Amino acid sequence: MTWNRREVLGGLGIASARALLWAFAGCVPKAPATPREAALSAEVSGEVRLWLQDAVSRLHAVGFQRVHALAVRRTRATAAVDVIGASVSRGRADAAVITAIDAHGSREQVTSRLTEDGVAAAVRALAPKAGPFASIDFGPKPPPIRQPAQLDDAALVERVAAIEHRELPSRIIYTAGLLDVDDVTVWSVERGRDLVQQIVRVLRSSTRVAWDRDRPSAIEVSRAWAGNVDAQQLDAAEIAYARDTVLAPMTPGAFRDGEHPIVLSPSVTAAVIDAAVRALLTSRAARRPEVAARLAAGATIASPVLTLVDDPTARNAYGGFSFDDEGTPAEPQTLLDRGRIAGRLADRAGVAAGLATVAGRGRRPGHAGPVEPMPSHLRLAPGSAPIALADGYQLEIARGASVDPASDRVVISVGRALELAAGKPTGRVYADVELVGELGALLASITDASQDTRTFGFRDERDGLPCWRSIEAPFVRGTGMLRARRRPA
Amino acid sequence: MIDRGTLAQALRQQPLADWVVLEHDQELHVRDGVSSRGEIRTRWRIVAHVDTPKGRGTARLAIDADDGDPDEVAERAVASALASVGPAWESAPAAAPARVELEDPAFTGELAAIADHLLAALGTPGVQLAPTARLLREHVSVLGNQGFHAEWNATLARVDLLASAAGRSLLVAREARRLDALDLDAAIATAAADLQLLAQATAPVPGECAVVLAADALVPIELGERGQLGVWDAFAAQADAVLAREGLARFHERSPIAEGADHVPEPLTVESDGALAFGLRSAPLGDDGDAVRRFAIVDRGIAAGLGLSPREAALRKRDPNGGVRNLVVPPGTWDGRVDGSGRTIEVRRLRELSIDRFTGDASLEIALAVEHGKGPFAGGTIRLDLVAALARARRSSERMRRGAYDGPSSVWIERAELLA
Repeated sequence: MTWNRREVLGGLGIASARALLWAFAGCVPKAPATPREAALSAEVSGEVRLWLQDAVSRLHAVGFQRVHALAVRRTRATAAVDVIGASVSRGRADAAVITAIDAHGSREQVTSRLTEDGVAAAVRALAPKAGPFASIDFGPKPPPIRQPAQLDDAALVERVAAIEHRELPSRIIYTAGLLDVDDVTVWSVERGRDLVQQIVRVLRSSTRVAWDRDRPSAIEVSRAWAGNVDAQQLDAAEIAYARDTVLAPMTPGAFRDGEHPIVLSPSVTAAVIDAAVRALLTSRAARRPEVAARLAAGATIASPVLTLVDDPTARNAYGGFSFDDEGTPAEPQTLLDRGRIAGRLADRAGVAAGLATVAGRGRRPGHAGPVEPMPSHLRLAPGSAPIALADGYQLEIARGASVDPASDRVVISVGRALELAAGKPTGRVYADVELVGELGALLASITDASQDTRTFGFRDERDGLPCWRSIEAPFVRGTGMLRARRRPA
Repeated sequence: MIDRGTLAQALRQQPLADWVVLEHDQELHVRDGVSSRGEIRTRWRIVAHVDTPKGRGTARLAIDADDGDPDEVAERAVASALASVGPAWESAPAAAPARVELEDPAFTGELAAIADHLLAALGTPGVQLAPTARLLREHVSVLGNQGFHAEWNATLARVDLLASAAGRSLLVAREARRLDALDLDAAIATAAADLQLLAQATAPVPGECAVVLAADALVPIELGERGQLGVWDAFAAQADAVLAREGLARFHERSPIAEGADHVPEPLTVESDGALAFGLRSAPLGDDGDAVRRFAIVDRGIAAGLGLSPREAALRKRDPNGGVRNLVVPPGTWDGRVDGSGRTIEVRRLRELSIDRFTGDASLEIALAVEHGKGPFAGGTIRLDLVAALARARRSSERMRRGAYDGPSSVWIERAELLA
């Protein structure tokens, strides 16, 4: 059977499927086509700040206690190359979000018209009688932003093609490479603060698909960072890992379910951390009584090996920022300190409700969606030496993880489990295994973390708006309940 | 600025074989206990086809902005379509849009006031509620180069509730096009009863058992988009025409969907109905401008049809049908009583549902279940071949409408495996 279509990408369980499909909806590059989005000039940036300052002044004048005005200009350029051809898609979104708070609560008006009139209309929607300006001190003027050089379509594709046209064994039935660049400028204005940040988030991935018995099996390797588009490359070792992994024959027959010693590869560790933090360690999660009771500050919920920090200031972090979407300046926050709860991520509403002590993680999908507490760049502290497992399974290729905040139950789907005996691979590799149990028990079983770490970027969407975050994770060793996900063929 | 007229004019000037423009003018409002958010936006969806000596190419563009250059959009549509040339096919002549009601007359006036009223009316029978209401009112215009023009209004309401009592909590969600179809009082009453059960819940005991999937487990709306069809989503995946063409679907047209599925006492029928009045996934026209039609996916245990986009329909020399939409399943005759001789668990709520779209294998992660004769438990996983299980399941005579599903309110599956 031949199978070389892009159409079933969505069913392969790879993280970049949505971005690939978005890219392939674009067009063949017409060198030297230059992107038409105008570079953001200092004048434009200054105008946007003035509109936002006007909005804040007018709303304070009618009695709102706190007013925050946020504007975002977002462009996306996605280049992809696969076995059928090359393609580039570009998108742009503008928005202004005006938030006004008084004794009755918080009101917010959003417009996709980032113009003087658009912002003024949003102000009128919140306060129809807004007229004169209040005198407001907005603090020091932000430094001018530097707009990076824009890449044309051909230049984007060239960068993907460079990693795609390497060795391709005939058993690989589909291959694709992706370069996804989100360029965002965010303005945030409130009393005492006039802030601007510019973030270029870059995600590179390479996907390989081969048949595994009766169905396609896919793997992707990726890198994600913020900064220069050319700052990082997928190297030959990563491409070879994708090729060799997807071609590795899986062991037929049923996997033996049971409690086993395990090593979680960094991608699996990252999936666990990501699901756990979002389900449990935010002010929104703390609204659930089970979570509030189980995860009170100081409670021991994990092994002392585990220290977890969310650090939006980490250099070149894909999920990083210099201020959140409520205008709070970025600061690192320790969530787990040697296994003990040390904090939870919160937006301003979470702090106001007494669910957390520090704000700074009020993030909006696409910088303009509804605000909610979300992680930025999570870093699980590495150990001091490499780790090895004598007997058990090494779990690789995270396919997904879910944590139930009410019961603490966790289910982590992994692409493959490599059996180890006496410290060496036995040659048995099982596809589609899942790690299940209580999250607390799993985290308590961790005995070691490796010295080396890997970083992963996540770009998922809510109501069509992107959410960016990243995780730096080591290998960890512990014990867990493993079971097969698929019926034997 | 982009508007329908200039966009159509720009597309007409391009060498396109066919094109459709959908314009969604949307007004949204989100309200919870302490905050409210209003938003006005326009979303454009453009589908354009070019014919070349090598075949036909299709472009799909999405623009979520008011400003832009229509000529640039049209040029990009052509370039994009040329980049995806595949086998040649011809658009079918435009067919009449389905006649379907999608606008709730109760959505009059300010959305903010409607949301306030909706939240104020929530009863709290012994439970603490943290509700969020999301309301959408939109006007949709569709314009095609074959000259057709259709417009309609639609409304949508979703309420998410965190219900808690005695240190336990549950997420509850309802989504409907009509406010009175949200049925929030019943949802809260069920949640209150389930919170009492949760307080008594023990750990699951693994083993074989019969399973009753109750309404909230059958269609768990709180799981988001994949919850709109719940366990019945297994049939939507199997009716994916692309999957079928690639040879990746589990069953094939005119064959039983599972061994013996056509010989059980009440063979399963599953229909896609995109013209269901106030159906969550109903629409007069599909995203490609194709008329939405009702069709059978499974007819008395036999695979009967596929969701056909214009391209998939043309490749098969059939009429497009708008793809898989709301699923309608005729109720059975089961009265809800179970045979007490064996072990039976009633799954009341799920916390996760994953379905393998190639095979229909599913993992149902249990949030709350009741073992008949013993009591409630929380946790555990039901592992099922969902296609075979639903083909043979007894379906209740009681009907419900939930999310994008209209059918029996519970099913009894004779044999399943409960994992701890």
